[in-house]
Amino acid sequence: MMPVLAVIVPMSWGFIIPLVYLFRRKLLDQAILLFAFISFMVTLATAFSGWQGYNVAFLGGWSAGLGIVFVVDKLSAAFLVLAATGSGAAFLVSYGRFRADPWRYYVIFFLLQSAMNGILVTGDMFTLFVFYEIFSLAAYLLVSFTMSWQAIEAGLKYLVLGTIGAFFILLGTAYIFMATGALNMAILSVSLPQAPPETLTVIAACLLIGLFIKIGAFPVHFWLPDAHSSAQTAVSALLSGVVVKVSIYALARVSLLFFLETRPAAFTVITSIGILSILGGHLMALRQEDIKRLLAFSTVAQIGYILTGVGTGTAAGITAAVFHAFNHMFMKGGLFITAGQLSEDMKTRNISQLRGLYRHRPGFVIAFTVLAAAIVGIPPLNGFMGKWYLMLASVDAGNIVSALALAAGTVISAFYYLRILSSLYSPGVPPSRRKPFYWPFRVTVTFAVFCVLLGLTAFMPPVWKAFSTIGTCALDTTAYIAAVLVE
Amino acid sequence: MIKLSYATAIFIFCIGLYTIISKRNLFKTVIGLAIMESAVLLLIVTSGYIPGGVPPLLPMNGVAVNPLPQAFTLTAIVIGASDVALALALVIKLHRRYGTVDLDKIRGLRG
Repeated sequence: MMPVLAVIVPMSWGFIIPLVYLFRRKLLDQAILLFAFISFMVTLATAFSGWQGYNVAFLGGWSAGLGIVFVVDKLSAAFLVLAATGSGAAFLVSYGRFRADPWRYYVIFFLLQSAMNGILVTGDMFTLFVFYEIFSLAAYLLVSFTMSWQAIEAGLKYLVLGTIGAFFILLGTAYIFMATGALNMAILSVSLPQAPPETLTVIAACLLIGLFIKIGAFPVHFWLPDAHSSAQTAVSALLSGVVVKVSIYALARVSLLFFLETRPAAFTVITSIGILSILGGHLMALRQEDIKRLLAFSTVAQIGYILTGVGTGTAAGITAAVFHAFNHMFMKGGLFITAGQLSEDMKTRNISQLRGLYRHRPGFVIAFTVLAAAIVGIPPLNGFMGKWYLMLASVDAGNIVSALALAAGTVISAFYYLRILSSLYSPGVPPSRRKPFYWPFRVTVTFAVFCVLLGLTAFMPPVWKAFSTIGTCALDTTAYIAAVLVE
Repeated sequence: MIKLSYATAIFIFCIGLYTIISKRNLFKTVIGLAIMESAVLLLIVTSGYIPGGVPPLLPMNGVAVNPLPQAFTLTAIVIGASDVALALALVIKLHRRYGTVDLDKIRGLRG
């Protein structure tokens, strides 16, 4: 029941908000706050319902072979917690800033949240595609919501590339259906290995191309910096923190279930794309003058880190990837919110002009410093731990190149984050106006605290044990199949 | 015969991809998206076809074609239509600002 609610509740908010606007306009402020709180709680509850064991919902009571199933296992649960936290924070930032004024924004926001939950819980290829498209349409709309020319161009670019990716995914799904006659992921993971090897290769190629475009991995990343930097602050944090992670979940789920034993080459491809993303993202970030574009290119590189973790195809690698996905959500979400606030204060996004902020906005600058130190990988913080575990997993799996790329990427990222920090701490003209920024500040500080806390997971065996069960559970395809095919 | 239709679908898919990659006119890009979409839909619909099959309606006389791909196609058509509609809306917004739909003249976000 819970997985269904996680999709239906936020989606119904999307349709109720216009009615509230039409008939009870005075209640809109409180209503939206309440709606966001309820969807946050429902998503968390869904995650916990799937943590103890597989929580499978058969829609309409049909069995897996005939109907649609929603499955929550530990991998989904981890990403559900991530989605709930990230979108909750993005909601607080935008609500603290605008209240319920742009009510259409919240309609799209809740649709996005519902589609994200849908992707995370679905156990069916075609439903995955449908949720993927709802999610992408909401994301295109959120990117172009401000209607500035940058936002519209970025939105169009995102739309064209995202749609190409979606049709590759649909093509792969069509081939899967033609090869096996089934679309349920559990059934497919049994029946797909019997398909001819060439068919499997084509299916793997179509799905991986589509998902890489949606993720924004290096060779097809060019929509990502535009989309993530042109959107408004809260949306940038949401896109970099959560939306990308949901795509990574889809990639991990599909590749682990279908290609782990039959096509190990798929994992080699994921690792190589990850290495390319690390190096390409960091090198491109080095050249940027615009702070939000720099952060967006850094996102490309961090996606690369997570992809190398997924590409190991081992329990340790998946665990490290999920751990780093959490780290990146906190780090990049906080960095985008801070960068958005500071650049709005200074009315420029050029790094060399963001001077003198330490004297006038000490709180934000200190939070930014902690987050930047975390993302570079200074030892006690979570970025270091994430990279450490990724490196261990890569070396264990025999991917020496990706471990080296991780190390090289850290050095490059230190260069450009130090450039921002030196600009922020140098003396300069104070920003002109002061306005209350209560929620953005709170959210950033909370994220920075989480960065410190997650860095201490190595000293908290229960927490780390919880993380490592995610990897083993994700690799345990027989248990997944048994849970879904039970009748 | 079925094989030929599969090949046709992939050929059309490639035409759509080529259109998007090579054309500088934004409307042609959107048309390319629509072509890609219809190619995939064609593939799905043909996959459910059985030579000599009848429509899957009761009472059935003979072998019926598989109705499942047709349901998928309907869903995918709706999704594709919303994609194209949003793309056209954004193109119109861009045209209002630049007075052109030529990608080379739209300075835009590069690098």
